[in-house]
Amino acid sequence: MKLPALALFERSLRLETRSALMCWSRTGPLLLILLVLMPIQSLARAGMFGAPGLHFLQEMVWLNLVFITLAGLSYFASAITEEKEEMMLGLLRMTDLNSVAILLGKSTSRLVGSLLLLLVQVPFVLLAVTLGGVGLLQIAASYGTLLAYLFLVCNLALLFSVVFRNTTTAAAFTLIVLMVFLIGHYWAAGMEQEFASSHGVNIQRGVWPALTAIIGFWRAATPSNRLGEIFQTGFAGPAVGFQVASNLVLGVLLFLLAWLVFDWCTREEKDAATPRRWLLGRATRRSRIPPRLVGTRAISWKDFTFISGGRFGLILKFGVVALLVALVNLIALETGSGNVITREFEGSVLIWTSLVITAACLALEAAHIFREEIRWKTLSSLVMLPVSVPELCYRKVAGALAGTLPLLAGFVLGVVLVPEDVGKFLEAIFKEPIAFGMFIVAILQFILFLHLTAFLSLIIKRGALPLAIAIQYVGGSFFMMFFGIIFSIGGGSGGPGAICLFTVMICVVTTVVLHCAIGLRLARAAAEE
Amino acid sequence: MSESNQPTIEICNLHHTYKRQQALRGVSFAVEQGSIHGFVGPNGAGKTTTLKILATLLKPQRGTVRVFGLDVVADYKNVRRKTGFMPDHFSLYRQMTVQEYLDFFGAAYGMDVQERTRVVGDVLALTDMEARRNDLIKGLSRGMQQRISLARVLVHDPTLLLLDEPASGLDPRARIELMEIIRELRRMGKTIFISSHILSELAELCDSVTILDRGSVRYSGSMSGLNHRDGEVADYLLTLAEEHPAVEAALRKVSGVIEVTKPAKAPQFRVSFQKKQTDPNFLLRAALDSGAQITGFQEIVRHLNQAFMDLTEPGVPPVIVAAADNAPPVPPMPQSGGPS
Repeated sequence: MKLPALALFERSLRLETRSALMCWSRTGPLLLILLVLMPIQSLARAGMFGAPGLHFLQEMVWLNLVFITLAGLSYFASAITEEKEEMMLGLLRMTDLNSVAILLGKSTSRLVGSLLLLLVQVPFVLLAVTLGGVGLLQIAASYGTLLAYLFLVCNLALLFSVVFRNTTTAAAFTLIVLMVFLIGHYWAAGMEQEFASSHGVNIQRGVWPALTAIIGFWRAATPSNRLGEIFQTGFAGPAVGFQVASNLVLGVLLFLLAWLVFDWCTREEKDAATPRRWLLGRATRRSRIPPRLVGTRAISWKDFTFISGGRFGLILKFGVVALLVALVNLIALETGSGNVITREFEGSVLIWTSLVITAACLALEAAHIFREEIRWKTLSSLVMLPVSVPELCYRKVAGALAGTLPLLAGFVLGVVLVPEDVGKFLEAIFKEPIAFGMFIVAILQFILFLHLTAFLSLIIKRGALPLAIAIQYVGGSFFMMFFGIIFSIGGGSGGPGAICLFTVMICVVTTVVLHCAIGLRLARAAAEE
Repeated sequence: MSESNQPTIEICNLHHTYKRQQALRGVSFAVEQGSIHGFVGPNGAGKTTTLKILATLLKPQRGTVRVFGLDVVADYKNVRRKTGFMPDHFSLYRQMTVQEYLDFFGAAYGMDVQERTRVVGDVLALTDMEARRNDLIKGLSRGMQQRISLARVLVHDPTLLLLDEPASGLDPRARIELMEIIRELRRMGKTIFISSHILSELAELCDSVTILDRGSVRYSGSMSGLNHRDGEVADYLLTLAEEHPAVEAALRKVSGVIEVTKPAKAPQFRVSFQKKQTDPNFLLRAALDSGAQITGFQEIVRHLNQAFMDLTEPGVPPVIVAAADNAPPVPPMPQSGGPS
């Protein structure tokens, strides 16, 4: 007998089983194992390190941890929001399916698919025992850790997917909470110690022991801490530790919470478009297109306003930079190292904060700049303008780049504050050809990453950014490792310079290919609307 | 050919294939300037593919497509300037207001602020959306969003409008109003190429029509040509007060009569004849002379619905029809039913 609550769940599993994409995606982990195994084995044979089994396991587990986190931001965070965005949730709710059935069908089926992706690796990862340096218990414990973390991430993303209208917001909140969960305890512990030492507080009294215990539990619940323990030589602890139990309990609580708020959050069908009041304040208003804006600059204006956030976005970005700089200063003051607050310190903080936020903004914009046009089926109208597709793309990109002006201003202000440090940095780069090469490689890799994100956003519905991060991370690290091995074993005379040059070539060629592919794909997408 | 006589659209032997599926198989037809041309066919006939090729969104794989004499591949920028395409879905920036949306497209087409203000005002007046100009698009009803789509198409004052299912999903009032707007646009001298499934409205609206089925043109030409089967043969229905067997023989004797059939149990005869050789008056005279008591005598005019059903019936082999508008050849078709 079929339970109504499991109807959608069963259907999702059946569809996933039949999906060719899912079938191929299951071969992904096997390919990953091969890619990890080959260089490790080569390096171990070359005598560059011992315990290749442990290295192999570590590589696999950390990669999986990154992938699970990225899946949380795309695959899991879109479980319910994709139905909201397509205005389908109301129809689902009109059927006999209750909220549990919808949650199970939309989210738990994805969890099961992901669990299978992890479990399919286990027989192959057992090779690590043969390679040496690791025991069965460590493999079992590390995969147990991953499974529990996956359960937690899935249900955390599900909660935000239920609460928010669109995937972007759900993914952003999932990312924030996950980052706080994964690294927040370091900061909390550091703050506690610094506060106690600078204010002469005895942490053995009052609320401090309880606070210390909470931070301890928090740390113990994180997969990174647990994996650190597992990978220690002579690990003999239980295969299922506190991290597994706590992650599972938290996951169940988050699922229950998602269930509780489901009706309240999805009772009304709302438009998934970004609420305009965030950007503009009013539901009705006169046109804000500047009178002098004529020709293709109008396209730039549109993307500056609606992708980059417009004037509100400029103020917001400037505010975020200012807030972060103020926060760093506050921490420096609170931790008793107020004497470090100098012109050089402020300049460095401004430069790095601006650079990091610029990179984040550009990555987000690369993921949205074309996707939004496809989502709202507006590409055909744009392409019908009497401009070529490349010109259209460059105008859109120019508009999105205009939104990063305050960040550029922050960067320039930082440079003005520490001109001598910047001078030294530039001198060091231009003095050493390798340093210059590495600098160029870093810039090219980022440009390649932006192209990859934009291209993926044209071919997959959601999750282009996490997938681009994963591809760049895996591709980049294995590329470097492979060529490192080839050059070191082959004994070429070029050394790092040759690797650098080769990397530059690969980056340039791949970027050019993606650049052209984006144009072709856009024209095709416009015709397919 | 002078520019004034040049067809707005000329499609010759157009082919297009999606992977293994052939969407268009040698499509050829022409659309005259200043006309409303209906483009009908069952789902999957190739209508949207043809429209997208005309709109320069798709490149023709074989054959030539000219708009105002311009090749849609080589001269696509000029074709785009003269053409407005309204797809079968809403292509709207939902976070913009109505005015912003139209203003944006006006600016993108290179209009200065004075021109934009005038044009946006005009198209809003034409589509009766002036009162909603400062409203967000996402808050508008489906009918209003459709009007905004049409207004957007008109912003750069194109001479040719390509409308793909403009009335789909609209309520009867919105549909009637949209048809009025389209008539008004024809009065303004625009050529309108309209794809629709609502045949009754197309029949009232269009000057000419192309019927497409399984990637082939089944008919292309004037509405009157479609209604009268072809230019040379006419069908009439003769209704008698009571059965009178002698009338059939009398009708057959008239020069030019091709066929006399008795379609129903009622005292009726269907007469097909060559228009050049005889006249309906001779038929009437012959029937009266045979002593029959006549209660009705009328031409059988097929409606677009009937023509569509006949021409797109499964099993009817594809017949490519010449693009000439004045005397469209018609493929062999099953006998149509009773009088209209």
